[in-house]
Amino acid sequence: MQFGRGKPAAGAFFDSDFQSVDSLLAVALLHGLQGKSECRVAIVTVSRNNLKVAGYVDMVERFYRGPAAVFAQVPPPGMITTGDGGVVSPGLTEPFAKKKADGSPLYANRVARVLDTGDPSTLIRNYLQAQYEKSSYFVLAGRATNLAVALDFKGVKDLVKERSSHLVIAGVESFLADPWAARKVLAEWPTPVTFVPDEVGKAIPFPASAIEKEFPANTPDHPVAAAYAAWQQMPYGASTTALAAALYATRQKEPYFKAETGTVTVGADGRLGFVASASGKHTQLSVDPALKDKVLAAYVELASAKVVLPQRFRPPAAVDPVKVPPKQP
Amino acid sequence: MITKKALPRRAFLRGVGTAAIGLPFLEAMAPAMTPAAKAPVRMAFFYVPNGMMMDSWNPTYEGKLTEMPRTLKPLDPFKEDILHIGNLTHNTGRALLDGAGDHGRCSGSYLTGIQVKKSLTEIKNGVSFDQVVANKIGKETRFPSLELGMEDARQAGDCDSGYACAYTNNLAWRSESQPLPPVLDPRALFERMFGSGQPMTPEEKARQAKYRRSILDFVSDDTRKLQSTLGPTDKRKLEEYLSSIREVERQIERAEKDNAQIDPKMDKPYGVPADFAEHFKLMSNMMAIAFQADQTRIITFLMTREGSSRPYRELGIPDGHHPLTHHRNQADLMEKVRLINTYHVQQFASFVEKMKTTQEGDGSLLDNCMLIYGAGLSDPNAHLHEDLPTILVGKGGNYFKTGRRVMARRETPMCNLFLTMMDRMGAPVDDFGDANGRLAGMDLPGLDLA
Repeated sequence: MQFGRGKPAAGAFFDSDFQSVDSLLAVALLHGLQGKSECRVAIVTVSRNNLKVAGYVDMVERFYRGPAAVFAQVPPPGMITTGDGGVVSPGLTEPFAKKKADGSPLYANRVARVLDTGDPSTLIRNYLQAQYEKSSYFVLAGRATNLAVALDFKGVKDLVKERSSHLVIAGVESFLADPWAARKVLAEWPTPVTFVPDEVGKAIPFPASAIEKEFPANTPDHPVAAAYAAWQQMPYGASTTALAAALYATRQKEPYFKAETGTVTVGADGRLGFVASASGKHTQLSVDPALKDKVLAAYVELASAKVVLPQRFRPPAAVDPVKVPPKQP
Repeated sequence: MITKKALPRRAFLRGVGTAAIGLPFLEAMAPAMTPAAKAPVRMAFFYVPNGMMMDSWNPTYEGKLTEMPRTLKPLDPFKEDILHIGNLTHNTGRALLDGAGDHGRCSGSYLTGIQVKKSLTEIKNGVSFDQVVANKIGKETRFPSLELGMEDARQAGDCDSGYACAYTNNLAWRSESQPLPPVLDPRALFERMFGSGQPMTPEEKARQAKYRRSILDFVSDDTRKLQSTLGPTDKRKLEEYLSSIREVERQIERAEKDNAQIDPKMDKPYGVPADFAEHFKLMSNMMAIAFQADQTRIITFLMTREGSSRPYRELGIPDGHHPLTHHRNQADLMEKVRLINTYHVQQFASFVEKMKTTQEGDGSLLDNCMLIYGAGLSDPNAHLHEDLPTILVGKGGNYFKTGRRVMARRETPMCNLFLTMMDRMGAPVDDFGDANGRLAGMDLPGLDLA
């Protein structure tokens, strides 16, 4: 038997500010799709200047990817270092206090300082270079700064055009948090762009019951479930805008949502406008009431799917090369 | 009234035949009653193959260098001159859809920051950064750059999983398809450095051989004339300099004699010493002279070629270097790799010592240099291209705050360091390879490179 023949599944790039648990659920959903060989999670980057957020996202990524191995590395956490870090939800901090039966931490936070992270735009560029032609896509849930900065790197615009097929943007409010970046991405992103308005997420809230039943049944001590449970008082139904974006981006041919073509612009007042037109270069999604149950079932099934570690053809390294040397006194 | 005429910086001792010896920086070269002329900044790259045992390379701390890691112990006397940089990455060394061949890629892209084309016949790289600098400032010295090495290797064929040998056996690239093969033979380098640039006629060669005359004999008249015009400090400096040339000459003669006795059929140029350390010493002594006499400001040095399977019998290691580095975490194999890593550093340390003890202006020659010692892979067993082993030795014209272990952010492009070095060399460019900015902060004590 030979491995490595043909193109692998499309690479998914996910960039978010992780202001809501929706984004963590979207990461879980993408990994669920990866488990079904429908995509490969290329890299997850953080558009918020906050080490706690980057630390949690990094931990979740390591949870899904398993330890670093020979010829199979875990990408470093990419985190922006400009802008306001904002308030961090207890969902991204409290799980770190959980202990195993032997008293050791259940989840290890390896991000203590900026040096433990990488520049997100550089990471996006680097991982994009490793994608086949038109065999990747982007999901953006938050301000567009990381993508906009990457566009300014030499050759990246051509690379995006050559290697990726589409960009799906989740939510309007967070996207507009950096108006410069929003305008730049809208004007210069060289692939089709789809918008998922916040209403789509509000219309199909994530069921708290899935956190309590499906997640633990499939994977004990799931860090996304732990974050959800600590995010706010359970039970609650989180908005699912980022989940919708991730699902649509990966399964574009499945009729989960209604799609309308038009043009999106950022006005002088900083608000987003959408004008429907057949010749527009953007697409906007809306909920199809008849498909709500189908969409919800897909969210739960994929986000809570049993974790499948990436296949390896060589034994894992004895030592994880990612080390944080202590600061000398 | 100022009457004394300054000696030109690019003065030569010339003699009969083809001899032409550049001079070190002398006080007489600084015009009287003016501030001393500033010594130029030089840079050199010492590339070692097959990555590094990182557990013995990286310190377990950051900040001031105190206890040196095991591999770097030979450099302990010079730790105040070392900047130990962590987390630099060459993304273009990674597979990026091209499959196997990390060795071919990592050396090919080491100084170019370009993803090389996987091919045996269609060679495609980029202009290496040393050549970008050489193109800008090379006219100021006799040689725009020198490309040197230690291991004889073919330039054609497949050297790693479909990557042409041109990628593994060269560091410097003049154009995207034209590498600059390293000079391995000390005699060839010597004649290049101290010849007039004109080839010697057979008669001249025979005459020199017959009388076993030193190159210095040919310039003795010029030397005497110059000495009569120099002050005591310059006189001493000139004597030391000429002695070092004579010493190199003797070493070459010895090597040639030994080679003739050991194995006349050996697959090496005639003047290449059989002993690794002796070969390094010869080459590095000439490098020091080249820098001292400002014959060049740019040197690339390929310790051995990437993927080298050279055995190190002098260390009691008959196994090939490359196979050993795929140690599968076996303790005995890992230990052998550490010994080879340390042996290489030991050779480099002898060069650093030479540079440190060579006076230039108020300081040492090393103060005006940037010597990069490193590899294109970090953990060779896993073929990692991040956190590449990199030390910068020398202060680059009293710019770098050395004596520290500093960390860049993870995945920081190695080309960021190159951009900073280009600035120091007086050859700034806006962009190079996959750089996303300059590696700022290296002139600031106690600052992380975030």
